[in-house]
Amino acid sequence: MSNTPDTDEPEMTANAADAVLRTEGITKRFGGLTAVDDVDVEVHEGEIVGLIGPNGAGKSTLFNCITGTLTADEGRVTLQGQDVTDWPEYKIARAGLGRMFQETRIFGGMSVRKNLLLAAQEGGADIGGLLRRPDDSLLERTNELLEYVDLGGLADTRAGRLSFGQQKLIEFVMALMAEPELLLMDEPAGGINPSMLENLIDYIRTANDEEEATIFLIEHNMDFVMEIADRIYVLAHGERIAAGTPEEIQNDQRVIDAYLGRE
Amino acid sequence: MSTKDDTGLLRSVLPPERVDQLFDLCGTHSWKLILLSAVIGALPPVFGLREGYMMTVISEMFLFAILALSWDIVGGQTGYPSFGNMAFFGIGAYTGAILLKDFAVSFPLAVVTAGVFATVFAAIIGLIVLRLRGHYFAIATLGVLLAAQQISRNLEITGGASGKILFDVPPGIVFYYFFLGVLVAEIIVVYYLSNTRFGFILNAIRDDEGKATAMGFNTTYYKTAAWMLAALFTGLAGGAYGLFNTFIDPQTAYNGAWNVELIAMALMGGTGTVAGPVIGAFGLHTIIEYVETAFVGWQLVLLGLAVIVTVIGFPKGVVGSLREYANEMDYYERGGMAATDGAADGTDAATDANDPEVTTDE
Repeated sequence: MSNTPDTDEPEMTANAADAVLRTEGITKRFGGLTAVDDVDVEVHEGEIVGLIGPNGAGKSTLFNCITGTLTADEGRVTLQGQDVTDWPEYKIARAGLGRMFQETRIFGGMSVRKNLLLAAQEGGADIGGLLRRPDDSLLERTNELLEYVDLGGLADTRAGRLSFGQQKLIEFVMALMAEPELLLMDEPAGGINPSMLENLIDYIRTANDEEEATIFLIEHNMDFVMEIADRIYVLAHGERIAAGTPEEIQNDQRVIDAYLGRE
Repeated sequence: MSTKDDTGLLRSVLPPERVDQLFDLCGTHSWKLILLSAVIGALPPVFGLREGYMMTVISEMFLFAILALSWDIVGGQTGYPSFGNMAFFGIGAYTGAILLKDFAVSFPLAVVTAGVFATVFAAIIGLIVLRLRGHYFAIATLGVLLAAQQISRNLEITGGASGKILFDVPPGIVFYYFFLGVLVAEIIVVYYLSNTRFGFILNAIRDDEGKATAMGFNTTYYKTAAWMLAALFTGLAGGAYGLFNTFIDPQTAYNGAWNVELIAMALMGGTGTVAGPVIGAFGLHTIIEYVETAFVGWQLVLLGLAVIVTVIGFPKGVVGSLREYANEMDYYERGGMAATDGAADGTDAATDANDPEVTTDE
């Protein structure tokens, strides 16, 4: 990475103050394999940033190091100016980091509405909030969000009965319900049909424009990520090999080489 | 489920919509229903049932309902199947018996202390074993039960292997109302909690603990709280049991067979519900009592059979299966197929196979 000419670096330092997420030199090894190697990324408020790379490039591992699911061997993770490197996963989440999983994870045994109510962070962990029934404003927001993704009718249905695509949407609105400072999405476009992908792009855009959601997403669907991302980072063999706007990335020789298997 | 569909008999006698209405009715009048049940439970002694076999059997039904519902807080609502709940019961029973016999403490104080001891024990043990999941958790809790049993066998204060005999036993009606009171209190607490954020978090841990953590919940904290709540009610019941039975020893206080029984009760009634474990306890205990008198020595065989039939035929228990039956059409009626997805995908097609009428309906 050190020999990469990072043309966008000056712009980044200028905005360093409003970086929602910053990683510095994140390294994660599994035995002899270095899955993530000295990776720096920055995500600023209001941005949609993509993270791409061939299979096994270390994208999900980097996500896991950021969320605290894994502990990085080296490097620091800063969330809104706070060093969260050694925090437990739940505490990082509570500090405003939302996450959507690659293999869509919702609570299948509970109703769709309960899934959403649970996702709301307000009320938090204090005893009073835990022992009260959900209030009307929360229920109203639940209904709004479900209507927004056209799933209003299914509020009382067991979430496990929904189709995969619908579950993906539920996971998305659950993330919005939490109003996170930063939302990590691991392959949001994976496994859903083209017409729904269009909808999803709209939803993500709207969330970004109107709710000012900052999003950092892993994606394999190039059309999707090139269309939606403001900036893109590219990982290969655990190293960051490129960073820049979608146009820059598409014309970057190292990225093309990495995807074609030359290195 | 499928066998019922084939005969169609149940469908004509009791259509799903009717069951759904019944659930709705229970839901809107839940508090009245609990109150009504409590009053009905309190009536028999008023009408003259004050002693004898029936009195004991009904008291035991209340007792088992307490234990099954307690098991379900952790085993059903939170998804951590414990084989060690009887450890809380044993600790409660011994605490109560020792305080009553050796320290001449009053009955209420002894029972409350028993509950508190069991809860504290649960907090300590919970922080260790609740880190394990699935089979490992089940085995570890069984280990806790066996260890607790062995300790009470070795100690002087617990009376060793011969246990403790208790005198000056209050009349049966005291235990009848005590167990009923604890049961009603527990039903109220569990039912209330199941509609709060705390209850949602427990269900979330059951469905996907990793996701719950990623959403910002310190799951260890909630699991331990649920485990302590279960221990409190189990310990209270245990505290009174010594006097109720007039005798405890390691075998009866830490009864592994009971632990299996109360799991079977929760499973048969329907885990993760409030009514399920209570109904399961009443039903299975009635059957066990009947078999015990009619076919002496066969109750464990019957218990095993009942569990097998339940697991195969009604994996969700009585309440769970009924709810599933009542809600089977929900997804389609509420526009599940039409919503956003476009064409039905694999999951929809799979469900269609069970309900051929769906496609024509839509």
